[in-house]
Amino acid sequence: MFDYTFQWNQVLVRLPKMLDGALVTMEVAVLSMLIGITLAIILTILRLSGSRPLKAVATGWIEIARNTPALFQIYMAHFGVASFGIHFSPFVSLLIGITFNNAGYLAENFRGALKAIPDTQARAGRSLGMSQIQAFGYIILPQMLRISFLPMTNQMVWAILMTSLGVTVGMNSDLYGVTQDLNALTFRTFELFAIAGVIFYVITKFITLSARIIASRLFRY
Amino acid sequence: MKMLTLTAAFVAATGIAGVAHADKLDDIIASGTLRCAVVLDFPPMGMRDENNVPIGFDVDYCNDLAKALGVTAEIVETPFPERIPALMSGRVDVGVASTSDTLERAKTVGFSIPYFAFEMAVTANEKSGITSFDSMKGHTVGAVAGTFEAIALEKQVNEWGEGEFRPYQTQADVFLALSQGQLEATVSTSTVAMANVKTGNFPGISVVGKAPFDTDYVALFANRADYGLLNYLNLFVNQQIRTGRYAELYEKWVGGDLPTLTVPNAYR
Repeated sequence: MFDYTFQWNQVLVRLPKMLDGALVTMEVAVLSMLIGITLAIILTILRLSGSRPLKAVATGWIEIARNTPALFQIYMAHFGVASFGIHFSPFVSLLIGITFNNAGYLAENFRGALKAIPDTQARAGRSLGMSQIQAFGYIILPQMLRISFLPMTNQMVWAILMTSLGVTVGMNSDLYGVTQDLNALTFRTFELFAIAGVIFYVITKFITLSARIIASRLFRY
Repeated sequence: MKMLTLTAAFVAATGIAGVAHADKLDDIIASGTLRCAVVLDFPPMGMRDENNVPIGFDVDYCNDLAKALGVTAEIVETPFPERIPALMSGRVDVGVASTSDTLERAKTVGFSIPYFAFEMAVTANEKSGITSFDSMKGHTVGAVAGTFEAIALEKQVNEWGEGEFRPYQTQADVFLALSQGQLEATVSTSTVAMANVKTGNFPGISVVGKAPFDTDYVALFANRADYGLLNYLNLFVNQQIRTGRYAELYEKWVGGDLPTLTVPNAYR
């Protein structure tokens, strides 16, 4: 039994607030991807480096990021570090949590992409007089990013959806946080979350479609 | 054949009529169970004892209601934001969940007359230097998302134009954040503040004074259209007070001056 009358006008007047929230959600996701990709490249390099401790750091990061819930990672970035006296705002905690997660998953994507590039290419570069760094930077890295481009958009979609976990650390300016706030105020749960769901869907669909268009333009053979 | 069709039609008609006439109150009595939405993260109104059994003012109140109805009570734990979805999706019959009866919310659910009233208190981290409600200005403050005090405090922070408001999902998270210094002060019901400071789980915090918000009257809630049930709830609340049970429960769980539940110069 579902005894409820939908009153859309009660929530449509609050749509601008939710759209503001959607912008914050995008902001967190984009930032977490930019930093996440950078960190993932560093993790990949650490893994390739011969040094054992560096390798262990990278492996540890990737293992934790991939094998624990994102909720745990975000919670740790807020309440966990606070027990050592380090205080981050909800925004920063959420950003750190998602970035940590992104970096771990993306590093794993990059590893898969690297496997698809024959290592004879790096050797060919070296034989042309490039340094190891040059060979990686000019030959391997661009191909790696190209191969893992679509998996990266997947991660971007994940990042968008993960922002909804920010409410657990007191975030109330992102789309989900704003929706929760409005829900507490009006008790119009079903309309509000239906709208939030549609906004999430539109954002992620927009990202996957535009990624596909960009990919077809950029990566023509 | 014709007889069979007629009988079938008759059975169907009475069946439908039966469903249409039974209201929610009948459904509860017929099912033999009263399912109450209770927030169990909100001592002393709702919490769990060492054996994980739900206890508290709201739990006792639900049990009393079930007893009056002659049915068994079933406590359904619902965090604050999930009270309404639980009701609307039919997981609970009635909310005994310290729910503030705001006009905005009353557009969605039906409220009984108030069954409890809260005063608001400021609890601060001792390092913050906050000594009163007004000295919270410019500081990072927070409360449990979706509560009366959270809505009022967020409004106040916006009015002050400085400082920051952060809602957390549970009362435990708020006091954890306060104890860690993530929050410098919080506004909560004074009963909850006292109960949490007393546990000793959250070192470095203390109750520093009252918050000048309106008295937070909380009511039982049910589906807005279920007048039969809402009428019963109103009478039940009235009887709880009349028979002294309200005072008894207040003494048992909270103690101190019994809050009056009527508004001077008003009918309801």
